[in-house]
Amino acid sequence: MIQLPYLDYIALERKSFLHRLSPRFKIISMAFVLLGIVTLRNLPGFLLLYGILLALFFISRIPIRIFSLTFYPLIFAIIFIFISGFQIHFILLIFLKVLCGSTGVVLLLATTPYPSIFSALGKVLPSSFVTALFLTYRSIFILLDILEKTHYALYLRGGFQWRHPRRSLINISNAFGHLIIKGIDASEKMYESMVFRGFKNKIYYRGD
Amino acid sequence: MSHIHLPDGVLPIWLWGLGYIGAILIGTILFRLIKKEELTRRLPLLGMMAAAMVLGAAIEIVPIAYHVNLTVISGVLLGPSLIFLATFIVNVILALFGHGGITVIGLNTLILSIEGVLGYFLFRLFWKILKRLTPATFLATFIALLFSTFAMIGVVGLGASHYEELIHKEGNGIFEFHFLKGKEEHQSGEATEEKVNLRRFITIVLPLGFIGWLLEGVITTLIVRYIHRMRPDLLHLEKEAP
Repeated sequence: MIQLPYLDYIALERKSFLHRLSPRFKIISMAFVLLGIVTLRNLPGFLLLYGILLALFFISRIPIRIFSLTFYPLIFAIIFIFISGFQIHFILLIFLKVLCGSTGVVLLLATTPYPSIFSALGKVLPSSFVTALFLTYRSIFILLDILEKTHYALYLRGGFQWRHPRRSLINISNAFGHLIIKGIDASEKMYESMVFRGFKNKIYYRGD
Repeated sequence: MSHIHLPDGVLPIWLWGLGYIGAILIGTILFRLIKKEELTRRLPLLGMMAAAMVLGAAIEIVPIAYHVNLTVISGVLLGPSLIFLATFIVNVILALFGHGGITVIGLNTLILSIEGVLGYFLFRLFWKILKRLTPATFLATFIALLFSTFAMIGVVGLGASHYEELIHKEGNGIFEFHFLKGKEEHQSGEATEEKVNLRRFITIVLPLGFIGWLLEGVITTLIVRYIHRMRPDLLHLEKEAP
């Protein structure tokens, strides 16, 4: 999540052929990748799909730093492998499903600016839902900024140390409490400025 | 911990399809119940709380792969209707930004909103009965997480026959690739030796979940106490004050 601003920057600044494709086309392609993940049942099929996604990833000249994001969901897949009784084939199948999904999504986000994705989604989803999605996205940046400032205060108060669990829990909880209060204050200011600029219940994007 | 961290394509289509239908139906009903002006006015707050939940989920407690959900505190601050929409949005963003599982968004919304809605009502109930903030928040969070974890286990259990199919009948999907068929048949033979082991899954999830419920309970309690100290108006406790 901390890499979100960088991902946004990559989506806006890079100029590969994938960046130039229409957002609608890329969202539909992502739906096909998902269809593949749901319907494919064998390793060669997944290896082929993953190979295609990897090729697209590197052709699009997305920095390797972003690539590490695609491995993050594997943490959660580990617990699921216990269901299978540690069968290699099943584990590989699950891992490839995870990697295909995450690589597809990262590819979409690193080549498509967020307003374009929301604009495309706004054509099929209720406007309040898309507005809430956009405001959440905007709020993540506001909270990241607050978190960065809080981080220093937290560090000065001892931060998080396994040797002092009680103090660490209090520090973390106070940081979250501070984040929530500051966030609510910021949301009130944001609402006032949105109303001032004519917001009713829908955010309009370029081309609407 | 209390929502499904499953990749796409693991759960059967009927299950995640029903999850989406259920989430959309409940969402539509709640949308109709909330006044439009009220929804518009509270959208920035909803966005901010959803963002806080997303950030909470992004901070991993490494040894036990646990992250705080902040669903109960969000439920207390947003109310039962808006927390549903907030969890829907959180799941969409988490699916896009790292947790994966776009197809399980509907199911995760239902499971997480159990946590938020139940947390809200239990918090009010325990506050009325106990008249003390710390035990009311801790118990509300602990019980809400317990219920949502069992809901998650129930959902994973419903897909058991599909996992067996994935393990034993690989290659029967809509698209088949045969160039490694010989190798796959060999693996398929080995696979039949062991069955899907849900008991093992539960044995791992419940103790980890228990640590998670305790951690989340303590963190939520401390957050609520902090908010009560700084901005008591946000908790709307005046009407029910002892």
